[in-house]
Amino acid sequence: MKFMRRILGHSKDSGPTGDVEIVHDAGRVASPPPEPVVEGPPQDEARRAAVAELQERAAMLDSGAFVGTRPLPPLETIVPRPGERMRFGQLSDPGMVRSNNQDAIFGMVVSSTTDDDLPDMGLFVVADGMGGHKEGERASAVTVKLVAEHIVDHILKPLLDNRLSEPDRMPLADVLRVAVQDANDAVNEKIPEGGTTVTATVILGDLAYVAHVGDSRAYMITDEGIEQITRDHSLVQRLIELDQLTAQEAAEHPQRNVLYRAIGQSENLDVDVITRRLPPRGQLLLCSDGLWNMVAEETIEGVARRHSDPQLACQELVDLANDRGGPDNISVILVQMPG
Amino acid sequence: MVDTHKFPSKQPDKSQGESTLQPGSVLQGRYRITGVIGVGGMGSVYQARDLRFPNVVRYVAVKEMLNLSTDQSIREMTLKTFERESDMLASLSHPAVPKIYEYFPSKTRAYLVMEYINGRDLEMIINSSTDFLPVDTVLRWALDLCDVLGYLHSQEPEPIIFRDVKPSNIMVDEHGQIRLVDFGIAKIFQEGQKGTMIGTEGYSAPEQYRGEASPASDVYGIGATLHHLLTRRDPRLEPPFTFHERPIRDVNPAVPPEFEAIVMKALEFKPEDRYPNAAVMKQALEQLAHPVAPSFSLKISPTREEEGTTWVGAEIKPLWVFECEDEIRSSPTFYRGVIYVGAHDNNLYAINANDGSFRWKYPAEGRIVSTPAIAEEENLVVFGSMDNLFYAVDLRVGQLQWTVRTQGPVLSSSRIVHGHAFFGSDDGHLYAVRLATGRVQWKFASGGAIRSRPLVSGELIVFGMDAGDVIATDLSGRMVWRFRAKRGVSSSPLEQDGLVVFGSMDWQVYALDIVRGWKVWEFRTSKPVVSSPAYGDGKIYIGSVDGSLYALDLASGKERWRFETEGQITSSPAYVNGAVYFGGVDGYVYSVDAKNGRLRWKFKTGGPVPGSPAVVDGVVYIGSMDHSLYALKA
Repeated sequence: MKFMRRILGHSKDSGPTGDVEIVHDAGRVASPPPEPVVEGPPQDEARRAAVAELQERAAMLDSGAFVGTRPLPPLETIVPRPGERMRFGQLSDPGMVRSNNQDAIFGMVVSSTTDDDLPDMGLFVVADGMGGHKEGERASAVTVKLVAEHIVDHILKPLLDNRLSEPDRMPLADVLRVAVQDANDAVNEKIPEGGTTVTATVILGDLAYVAHVGDSRAYMITDEGIEQITRDHSLVQRLIELDQLTAQEAAEHPQRNVLYRAIGQSENLDVDVITRRLPPRGQLLLCSDGLWNMVAEETIEGVARRHSDPQLACQELVDLANDRGGPDNISVILVQMPG
Repeated sequence: MVDTHKFPSKQPDKSQGESTLQPGSVLQGRYRITGVIGVGGMGSVYQARDLRFPNVVRYVAVKEMLNLSTDQSIREMTLKTFERESDMLASLSHPAVPKIYEYFPSKTRAYLVMEYINGRDLEMIINSSTDFLPVDTVLRWALDLCDVLGYLHSQEPEPIIFRDVKPSNIMVDEHGQIRLVDFGIAKIFQEGQKGTMIGTEGYSAPEQYRGEASPASDVYGIGATLHHLLTRRDPRLEPPFTFHERPIRDVNPAVPPEFEAIVMKALEFKPEDRYPNAAVMKQALEQLAHPVAPSFSLKISPTREEEGTTWVGAEIKPLWVFECEDEIRSSPTFYRGVIYVGAHDNNLYAINANDGSFRWKYPAEGRIVSTPAIAEEENLVVFGSMDNLFYAVDLRVGQLQWTVRTQGPVLSSSRIVHGHAFFGSDDGHLYAVRLATGRVQWKFASGGAIRSRPLVSGELIVFGMDAGDVIATDLSGRMVWRFRAKRGVSSSPLEQDGLVVFGSMDWQVYALDIVRGWKVWEFRTSKPVVSSPAYGDGKIYIGSVDGSLYALDLASGKERWRFETEGQITSSPAYVNGAVYFGGVDGYVYSVDAKNGRLRWKFKTGGPVPGSPAVVDGVVYIGSMDHSLYALKA
């Protein structure tokens, strides 16, 4: 009924508005339609066939043999109640073994109420640096800051200027790609002995754009479970994909820490950028390998579900990794969608 | 951090290995160090002068290996292995294997004295060249390399496996001869690396990462080295084991297809698919170097058709064929055992799907190029015609129920949702028609012809226009957003996971945020895209007038594979159970594996196939411009 009301919304009472134009019943306007030519079965036989078909109907409906016009399940979009917005927590910890933290994280949410109905925007970045003599810390710091700055300039500012719908704009996925590539150029130039992973997410409305290089991860947590939406750019992950290693063997492989793609590796960096829709109440988790190496996916999912405050969830996840030895730096960002 | 380091691998890392021998120092009273050839984590290689020949300058290479394990038994074992391997090397006799003169271990290190090779390694040669290396030079090196490795592989009782074939371990000496250096003895001394590193070896076979090595592993290393030499693409900078994603001739067309085929066979993922050893690979290369036929014959490399196992054109027999009076350019719709299809003879046909027998036809006054849609509740089949009318016909008996007259031809197919039909007309309007009555609830003036099939998703209607606009309205016909492509959009938009995807005459495939109309990604083909997208297995399938069917990853917009045909593709593909079905203007109906784009089968009709298939219960129904509707086994 809701749909009917919407389609019928502009009745003659309210009068046509904008581009909508109510026309007369087409039957009356149209010229007399040509009579159908029925060949083959005569009318009464056709009628009998039609009755038989009606009787078959129940069985046929179950068969699913219906192509072309079946309406798709409606898209469940996020319609937050007033005052509800995405929330996030974030925490980065050196762990139990290392004296320094080579991870860097960044998070922000922009929320507004204006008459042009801007969507809320989130920007979250995790980077896990590598390289001696403070080079790792520098590489991850430079990367999160440059990526954030680029996205503020090329997504947040155009969003506020209502320029995101301009037809000649660079696709949003490419904006994220360029942001990471620019950071790569800067690291190559300024920190030649440093490198870093980066996983950066922009959330606009209910779409999440994720740019990714290396073995930090993004997970989506929905009613359907937890799903890793980034792919590790590691040697062992490639071997797993090629059925040469099991996940178990990979966890113990002497070369499990070898990345084949990271910021600071080479001039032309291939960046994965994916777009995923976040359903209402869905969650997005970004983390460095200090978390996922120590805490199983199911545990991460359980913790994320148990807390209504994402900051407490981040704290518990970091504590869990530290309880298990915390051999590496641990970083987590958890974003909860409204709805 | 000590245990986390970037790993550039090419530059000696000063922090790890210092040269312990200074120039001028003398080893064993015989070898005076004259310089450092290389520094590595496990020790250094020095150039030294042999003092036993005081009247001539005779250089040797002294390789120093550190034996740093703190565990004494491990140290002893390492030393034993070193001696055994050194003895083995000393027993070899091949012009490409450097001669071993002697070795002497000490407590914390071991020394190996061998022939000094004056030349450059292949890595230096690649890095110092600015263009592709001459193909015949690379071929000659390939033969030499296979010769020496074939010699190692033929050793008794066990073949010797080099394990580390890569450009930096292969030298070209002053006479232009290939020489193998670094017999991996250093590896005995190597402990597992710790900490995250960037960069992989790039040349090693996949099974070596499981600790397995065979002569076929060396064959992989030869293939990887040749691929790098021929393409100048460093495999250490690419994802591991992706050589097949970088066909040599795409980068360097000067390479004959046969040479490429040999290199690619060497790079096969499974050892059993490669040449079993370097000698067999050498035989294949010799055929290339001295072909039976004169010169490099540029035979076409094996096509997909030859690879396909299921395709035999003659074996595909249609289940039935239904003849219309004119071309079929539109697409059939299946509903409850009946196929509905419009033709250029103005008729809408109802055909029994099981045997292709005729049920009824309904003549419009103009050609029918739109795809019929079924209004299930109302028992209607609805379709537009070039005669400006939109028809609703009782689907059981073919009796007209009502029409809607527009002011232009109706090429747009309709979408049935919520008891309404939504369709566009060349008169520039999008119509919302109540199915029960044929009454127009509203129409939206878009300002240009609408030929795409509207998408209804949630509260939004999205449609493309010939002027290039893509418009989203709400269910009451109020505009929500507008996107402008550079050329027309007659491709019908598809919604998946919050994205709306469609093609345009401006050659692009676009993905927009369906709620906002913002561009998420775009993918450029080489010609206009009139085909409408299909979705399955995480991928978008869409044809282009450039002749290819593209499979694009929905989330990233990246090409996963493409399938090339001999003509344009205007047909919109259908995805069913891991297979993609579509027609080509080259006259074929194709079925392609959705995973990898390999041909499953193709069927030749008597004319171009611009329309799209309906695939139901293992049968493909598709019309051709040869006037026929075909039913083919999926």
